[in-house]
Amino acid sequence: MSIWLQILIRSILIFVLLFVAIRLTGKKNITRITPFHMVGYIVMAVLAAIISTNAIANPVLGLIPLGVWVVGIIALEYLSLKSKWVHDFIYGKETVLIKHGRVMEENLLKARLTGEELLRELRSKNAFSLSDVEFAVLEASGDINVFLKSDKKPITARDMGIKTAPLAEPQTVILDGNILNEPLASIGYNRNWLETELKKAGLSPDNVFIAQVDSSGELYIDLFDDSIQNPQPKVKEMLYAGLGKSQADLMTFALETQNEDAKAMYNKNAEKLEKLLKALKPYLLK
Amino acid sequence: MTVASQVNKVLATLKGSQGTIRLYSAQAQKEEIRAVYDKAVETTSEIIYDLEKRLSEIEYREPQYKGN
Repeated sequence: MSIWLQILIRSILIFVLLFVAIRLTGKKNITRITPFHMVGYIVMAVLAAIISTNAIANPVLGLIPLGVWVVGIIALEYLSLKSKWVHDFIYGKETVLIKHGRVMEENLLKARLTGEELLRELRSKNAFSLSDVEFAVLEASGDINVFLKSDKKPITARDMGIKTAPLAEPQTVILDGNILNEPLASIGYNRNWLETELKKAGLSPDNVFIAQVDSSGELYIDLFDDSIQNPQPKVKEMLYAGLGKSQADLMTFALETQNEDAKAMYNKNAEKLEKLLKALKPYLLK
Repeated sequence: MTVASQVNKVLATLKGSQGTIRLYSAQAQKEEIRAVYDKAVETTSEIIYDLEKRLSEIEYREPQYKGN
């Protein structure tokens, strides 16, 4: 067998082998891996290069170390899933850097971090002032995560006492003009429904770049042609406005009528509608 | 506009709204959302019932102003 053919076959084999091996070692972001994993990947890469370029006469001698590294890393991953002790040993443990607003200098020293670096990391988390920080922890991956003091935290709807409607994630049902059946089915609709909705808006699927259905069943459409103004659904706002108008009308009737029973009935129902409006507001108005 | 026709108009709006709410209830993905809409359907039903009763009273008393 000529040498170039040998190299070709080896390269293809190693290519496939290494691809499978790396997939097997898990789905980790390259910036999040530990130094040990980094070394493992480099060793695997170098071995693969050596074997496929024929630098080792006997490929089996190259495959043995490659196999050991791949199996070793997978085994460690598996063990770290099973045992907390192994996990801590491989990945390290998090270190508390700031507790109750006070910097823990010994821990900083242990983590080989200078005050300068700590401040820089805090700034990157938008905590420019040390006095804003209640708690900060150095994760095993080297990230610093910050827990702000309660009065410095971003305000949420809950803090404001606003009730919000629970929302599930929207599903993308059209991409590049193609109707995607699987997401449609997962929210309980079918092609017919989508085509009807599009017809209502006066569109065909070919005009649509992206269409998403939110958890309340409303369709949001983005067209290829950005010069076309497509009206976004306003049904919910209309519904809210209609109910609001009915409530106002009932109150007018209550004022106009001479009949005491009718007055009481109108007032009672106007109140009911008002309560209903309050309950529906987070669902209908966004 | 007579009182009867005004009441009729509100009734129509409410019935339309109720239909839309029913649709949303059927479309809702989450149980808690469905519960809110179902409650809304119930409330509107009560109001519609009261209004219809009142409307028939008005029409009974003043048939010449039958709202339409």
